[in-house]
Order: sequence, then C-alpha cells, then structure tokens
Amino acid sequence: MNADSISVIKVRDILMVTMPPDPDDPTVSALQDKVLSAMERYEAKGVVLDISSVETLDSFFARTVSETAQMVTLMGGRTIIAGMRPAVAVTATEIGLTLGNIETALSVDRALDMVTSKPRSKKLQ
Amino acid sequence: MKTQMRPNSGQKQKSAAAKEITQNSDLLQLLVDSIKDYAIILLDTDGNVLTWNSAAERLKGWKAEEIIGQNFARFYPVEDVEKGKTKMELKVASEEGRFEDEGWRVRKDGSRFWANVVITALRDKNGELRAFGKVTRDLTDRRQNEEKIKKQAQEILEMATVPVVQVWEGIVLVPLIGTLDSQRTQQLMERLLHRVTETGSPIALLDITGVPTIDTQTAQHLIETISAVRLLGAEVILTGVRPVIAQTLVHLGIDLTNVITRSSLTAGLRMALTILKLDVAPLKTL
Repeated sequence: MNADSISVIKVRDILMVTMPPDPDDPTVSALQDKVLSAMERYEAKGVVLDISSVETLDSFFARTVSETAQMVTLMGGRTIIAGMRPAVAVTATEIGLTLGNIETALSVDRALDMVTSKPRSKKLQ
Repeated sequence: MKTQMRPNSGQKQKSAAAKEITQNSDLLQLLVDSIKDYAIILLDTDGNVLTWNSAAERLKGWKAEEIIGQNFARFYPVEDVEKGKTKMELKVASEEGRFEDEGWRVRKDGSRFWANVVITALRDKNGELRAFGKVTRDLTDRRQNEEKIKKQAQEILEMATVPVVQVWEGIVLVPLIGTLDSQRTQQLMERLLHRVTETGSPIALLDITGVPTIDTQTAQHLIETISAVRLLGAEVILTGVRPVIAQTLVHLGIDLTNVITRSSLTAGLRMALTILKLDVAPLKTL
C-alpha cells in the first residue's frame, strides 16, 4: 500500500479525503502532507475525512488525524470525520482512543451538510 | 452384698443393652420402611435385588415380589446397561467401598426419573463382600427446577439486553433498566452503535430513569458508550438524571460537562428535536 491509496478530491470548497480499508503507517503519515498541501492549494473551507472503509484504527492513526485536524483549523478549515464503523468505534473506545474535539458525522452526506451550515457550537446546552 | 450384686447388675445391664439393641434394630427397620424420600435396596453381590423398602416400591413402580431376585439393571435405561454401566457401578463400589452417580433411571412403566444413586459395599468383619446397599433418591423435581431456573435466568439475561428503539426519524432511544455491568455495557454499546449506523440517526437518547444507582464504574461505562457513539458522528443525550443520580455524580466527581444531560426523557426528546431543527406544534383546527 502506498500514499496514492489516499484520495484527496476537492468538491466545491471542501476537500474529500478517502482512507483505504487498512492504512499502514506510511499511508497515515502521507495523509497529513496530502491534506495540508491541498488545503494550501485550494484554500478549502473544510476537510471531510471518509473512514467508512477503515476496519482498524490504531493510536498512530488517531493521533495523526487529531493533529492534522488541529493544523487544518490553524489554516482556517474544519475537519469532520465521517462514517466510522461501529466495530472501529468500540475498539477505539476500549483502548481509550479519542479524536480530541474533532467533529464526527454518520456519513459523508451529513458531513457535507455540516460543513456548509454554520459551525455547530461544541456545547449544545 | 456388693460382690454378689456386681455380676447380677452386670448381667442385667447386658440384657438391657441387648434389649436396647434389638429395640433399636426394630426401630432401624421401621426407619428404613418409613422413609419416603429414599429408596433403600439391598442387592446381593451380583446385583440381584434381595429386599427393598416401601419407598423403593413407590419410586420404581415394581411390587417387591415382582422385583426380588431380578437384577438391578432393570432400573436402568437399556443403553446404560448395554454400556456396562451397572456392572461398572458394582465394581467401583466393591473396590472403593462406595459409588455415587446422578442420572436417568427407569420405572416399571418405562417412564424415566432423575436419580441420585449411592451404592455401598457391605462387608462383614472379615472383609468379605456380603451385599450391596443401594440408596436412590428421586431428584426429578430438583432437576426440573434447576432447568426452570436456568431457563428463567437466560430469559432475564435476554430481557436485560438493552432494546434500542427508534422513536423518530433520526432519534434512537435506549431505555436503560437495572444495574449496568461491564457485560451489559458492552452489549449496549455494540447494539447502540449498530442501530445508530443502521438508522443513520444523529441523536441517541440514553435514558437512565430505570437505573437505580450509579457508581464510578457505571458512570465510566456510560461515558465510554457516549464517546463511542460520538466517534460515529452522532450525539448522545443522557436523560432521566434524577436528583439522587445528579447528587451521586457530583459527589463521585464524575465529569459529564461534555455530555448533554436532561432530567426527563421529555426534555431530552425536546432537545433532540431542537438539534434536528424540528418543531412540535399543536394541530390548527379550523
């Protein structure tokens, strides 16, 4: 598997990033570079990271995603993780992984809705 | 006087003791015959019935005269006899002094009962094997009860697996009832996550009205569930936070500031509708 297996597509002013089913460490590392350079090139408003095909989530992946999201925020964008599988969420919770304050969405569809609408306040109460 | 008295009194004591023994032996016989719960059967060294008590008659269904002289294999299911179970039992009993077993036995009419059987080797003073004593107890009721309890426990466990109900497009509800342990939380988490994904519901209402008390562990389990749901991209609203629960949570120092909580399910549902930008309005009658 190589870095090319990550696809970064610009749709309007959003970056659609799709992860392969079983990303290895180099692939994960490449994710950050690809996303950040695309952010610079397109001045995108947000990043939607589609992980609906990802079957395993390790701490390295989680940390990279979390860091990348912070960097995207610094560059003026929003990051939304879309389509995490239930099994992945269970494992992630079991080993105590969190994605920090990154927004999540059930599907890419909903993620797009979220990006185009106003940013939802973190605290809803 | 004293010297004369001694042998006399000794004899008297002896005969009294002998009388007592005879009396006790009569009583023992009475006990054996009167006992209702245990079938007591005397077998010769080959396993043929020598005699038995009335409880055995009742339990096995045979009349004493029908069974005396017959091999005790008559009490066993055919397949057990074919496997040599009865011979093995006598062998073990004679070698080890006793044999105990629990299993199916057969009545005269062919019906089966669940029995606890103890076979004891009866040896005289010289160690010669004289007979076998067999004590059988009908445990069918106990076994049926055990099976019933097992079944009920299973049912309760199945009931305890948390239902996840879709109450509105985009809203699923989990009414939690009873104490939450790790196993239940695991089930809850898996089912909730699957339902959220299946129905594509951005909101999950977790109602804890039916949870009697919350301890640190339970709270931890809830927090885990909530963060797992969030990873999927849905939001959890914790409802049914009663005053007692609220007090406990604060006293235990459990931080739920990042979780939307409401005191009642109604309030939670209203919150959910607000998030989904839905409004419930009375019908306008013309």
